[in-house]
Amino acid sequence: MGGVILFIFYGSILFCVIASIIKIVKYTTAPLHLRWELYRGSSVYELPDGWNKANLTFWQKLKTVILDVSFLREYYHRNKKFWTFLYLFHVGLYLLIFWHAWIFIRAITGNMESASILGLVWGHGATVLAFMGGAGILIQRIINEDLKVYYPSIHYVKWIFMLVTVLGAFYAVDVHFNAQMPTLLKYVRGQVTFQDLEHKLHPALAPASHVLFASVWLIYFPFSHIMQLFFRYYHHLRWDDVPNARGSGIERRVKELLDLPITWSAPHIQSGKKWKEVATEVKDLTGVQGR
Amino acid sequence: MERGCDRSKRSYRSTRSLRKERTKIHDISRKKEEGLLNILPQDWMPLPCLDDHPSPIKPLTEEQKERVESSLDGISALGLPKPKNKEEEKKLVESFLRGLKKLLSQNDNWTFWQPLIHSLESCVKCQTCNDACPIYVSSGKQEIYRPTYRGEVLRRIINKYLKKGGRTLSKLKGEDIELNWATIARLAELAYRCTLCRRCAQWCPLGSDNGLITREIRKLFSQEMGIAPKEVHDAGTVQHLKVGASTGISPQAFENMIEFMEDEIEEKTGKRIKVPVDREEADILLIHNSGEFMSWIENPVAFAILFEAAGLRWTLSSEIYGYEATNYGTWYDDIQFARIALKQIEVAKKLKVKKIVMGECGHAHKGLIIIADRILVDDMNFPRESFLPLLAELVCNDKIKLDPARNNFFVTLHDPCNMVRLMGIVEPQRQILKKICPQFREMEPHGVENYCCGGGSGFAIMSNMNFPDWRVHLSGRMKLKQILNVFQDVIEPENKKYVCAPCSNCKGQIRDLLSDYNVGEKYKIRYGGLVELVVNAMVDIEKPFIEWE
Repeated sequence: MGGVILFIFYGSILFCVIASIIKIVKYTTAPLHLRWELYRGSSVYELPDGWNKANLTFWQKLKTVILDVSFLREYYHRNKKFWTFLYLFHVGLYLLIFWHAWIFIRAITGNMESASILGLVWGHGATVLAFMGGAGILIQRIINEDLKVYYPSIHYVKWIFMLVTVLGAFYAVDVHFNAQMPTLLKYVRGQVTFQDLEHKLHPALAPASHVLFASVWLIYFPFSHIMQLFFRYYHHLRWDDVPNARGSGIERRVKELLDLPITWSAPHIQSGKKWKEVATEVKDLTGVQGR
Repeated sequence: MERGCDRSKRSYRSTRSLRKERTKIHDISRKKEEGLLNILPQDWMPLPCLDDHPSPIKPLTEEQKERVESSLDGISALGLPKPKNKEEEKKLVESFLRGLKKLLSQNDNWTFWQPLIHSLESCVKCQTCNDACPIYVSSGKQEIYRPTYRGEVLRRIINKYLKKGGRTLSKLKGEDIELNWATIARLAELAYRCTLCRRCAQWCPLGSDNGLITREIRKLFSQEMGIAPKEVHDAGTVQHLKVGASTGISPQAFENMIEFMEDEIEEKTGKRIKVPVDREEADILLIHNSGEFMSWIENPVAFAILFEAAGLRWTLSSEIYGYEATNYGTWYDDIQFARIALKQIEVAKKLKVKKIVMGECGHAHKGLIIIADRILVDDMNFPRESFLPLLAELVCNDKIKLDPARNNFFVTLHDPCNMVRLMGIVEPQRQILKKICPQFREMEPHGVENYCCGGGSGFAIMSNMNFPDWRVHLSGRMKLKQILNVFQDVIEPENKKYVCAPCSNCKGQIRDLLSDYNVGEKYKIRYGGLVELVVNAMVDIEKPFIEWE
């Protein structure tokens, strides 16, 4: 049983890494698309000869990402009712991610007996926030007519599973480890340093369940909206305003794309010819009439 | 008449009753002829300042219903003929699926593949975008106009018909949908119930762009199945490429219009000037929406007066494609879009001008300056910019003598979506208006959060059957409400009011709104461009440029 859990856990880490890499490769190798951005305010097009200028610096972009991700600013401005629980959940989640990172580092670097109670408070606080936020979102998704519309049933299961995961974590820390930081840190140290093989192969139910739950989330992560958000929102909707300067890499990529054949079949398109040929010819323009 | 107005008395039908009638996604496949929505005036968002008992939208005649598809909402934007038999229906369904596969293929749809895929994958159904959509809100929140409805239909078709195990999984997930002619016909019409203003995308915290999804559905229908509104395709891009302009103006007709412009300038200013045409090596090639020459000649006239007064080295072009800024391909077809953009650039190259400046036309701005950027290579990648920075420079740096007292009437600004939200040109027009219009007031919301006029993405020129009625009553309702609201305290006809709309399509739509609701005449609200206001303030011109009668 313990072997199976180990296999699932390490397998899920591997899966998460590989699937994330595949997603990133899919994103980075996608063909350059035409520009279609949106603006939150003034742009360089307000300036004479603004057509060949880029809009924002890297640091301006980074600042926006950090503020948006930290405070879910767009939700705050556009949908406050939904934001409240969403924010609680995300703050809880961020704190839990940092807490797990801290606990792994603390377990292998510090004196475990002197571990501060603050670590426990941090973990509990984060878990409570994530639970309250998750439960609030689930309830809203059940009772709010608009939030129910088109929401896939599987996502209700996802939120229930999220709450179960959080409750499982409570149980593991408070019941199994008696809310004792040194005990918890010793267990984690044994796990991450592979010192305690016996515990690894025959784990207790509470930590084993938590590891299993975590594995499911690791498998889910590459398909979650977190990945989408970064690639889509920040690179293509808001900031895809890099001009196509002569002799630039963008121009080179555009030339390659204009060499692709057009395959669309409507009468006004000469299917089979290259983009650059079709776009520069205006003969044989059969009208599209109804169909 | 009572002073001002706050008479939004009529209330919506209760949300509860609407909930009972909520249309489901799979209803789009319903084979019955009856519409998914019966559009009723009592559902519509109330308007201020009007005894608002709107007449219902004109129904199609029995003959029209027999002939064309109208089973979405009783409206026909496309005049789509019904298939004659099962065989034809089957072929159409197959053609749609082929087009959908191409839409999702990187090579076939490189132009928008990435943003389309991300838009389809990133929606979390939080419906934050819903209230951003003026059509959804104006209609009384009818389900089929919900910004996420058509995207969800497309998503479910893709999941069921194009993914492995899709048929089984769709049933298991309770997301089954049938792809038949009814689905396709309704989806085609539904793609023309959104103005592509992309306010929903601006609202989406995850950046899912339902405006883009709508455009891509239009593209599938046009590029694969040959289905598009005749005003946008046959009388639009095809005519543009054949004759030189989407209005059908030929180079010869354009030359006559230049003479007419010069006569107008003489009448308005008392001076005859020679409008520069085909001047080689000019600093600026100014391209107008050719609709200005047909319907609002005062706009190109005002540009000519201003540019001459400022001593600019500029020119118009009488070459085929050189006097038409529009590019209707922006709204529905990448290939038609590319063809037109390249023709426009060739004219500028031939004239050896330094740059192209776009006149008051929103989609032409976004199309040629931004979207075309990645189809233009080498010397075709030609400098091109909006008229707004240049105009702001002339006005704000006192390069022309202006007297704001001449514009001492109430002025508000309509922000064309393409220039503002989709290009980030927000301030120059405001700097100009604040300088020359002492009674300038903003409508709410404005800037990048503005509402579409309701005539965007081709709607203003689409005149099939009862579609114009729908456009005036529903897609333009929010804009009319904004206009009435901003002038509410000065609504009496003795107060002159001007809606400044620096875009031809928007002007056409606002003209129809003011006229169909009879508020233009009743409350003395007129509309026009931005340059007309600048010329109206010029101290060198004796007579007022803007006429109120």
